Amino acid sequence: MSMFGFGGVNQGPTSAQKIAAAEAELEMVTDMFNRLTHSCFKKCVPREYREPDLNKGESVCLDRCVAKFFEVNVKVSEQMQNQAATRQGGTPGTGGMFGM
Amino acid sequence: MDGLTAAEQREFQGVVEKRQMREFMQMYSNLVQRCFDDCVNDFTSKTMNAKEEGCISKCVDKWLKGSERMGQRFAEQNAAMMQGGGPLGGAR
Repeated sequence: MSMFGFGGVNQGPTSAQKIAAAEAELEMVTDMFNRLTHSCFKKCVPREYREPDLNKGESVCLDRCVAKFFEVNVKVSEQMQNQAATRQGGTPGTGGMFGM
Repeated sequence: MDGLTAAEQREFQGVVEKRQMREFMQMYSNLVQRCFDDCVNDFTSKTMNAKEEGCISKCVDKWLKGSERMGQRFAEQNAAMMQGGGPLGGAR
């Protein structure tokens, strides 16, 4: 679950800091999941609700939608990191999150 | 959650449980709103008609199944991304 690289905090920080970092990470992942489900459901499932089950088309659409949502995350983060790096005159993508 | 001691993990577990409760309540109210918005549009009576009830039931079912499916895909994608170093550190 250390999706943003917060996992490796074991040299120095206090327990409270470590737990806060883990909670921030959990918060970020949950928030991302909630936004993803909201968007993908809206894009893939028509509002008529003809049957209680997901049909083939809806299922495939949801699968692809999740994959693409991740792809967009990666693309945006790369582009933001590169831009930040260019502005600071450093090498792209060296820092942690957004060059912090 | 690597890098936490056993005691820290227990404390974090408590945090997670509180959060899950909140998430659950939030999902419930979001689902009420979604299905209400999509299914209930006839205000010529103050009770739901058969069509609306059917719609609500299908709406809830579909959302629960859909979110379960998306949860599985999300976990898979997340695991795959961890191996590539995470989205915000991917360019390393």
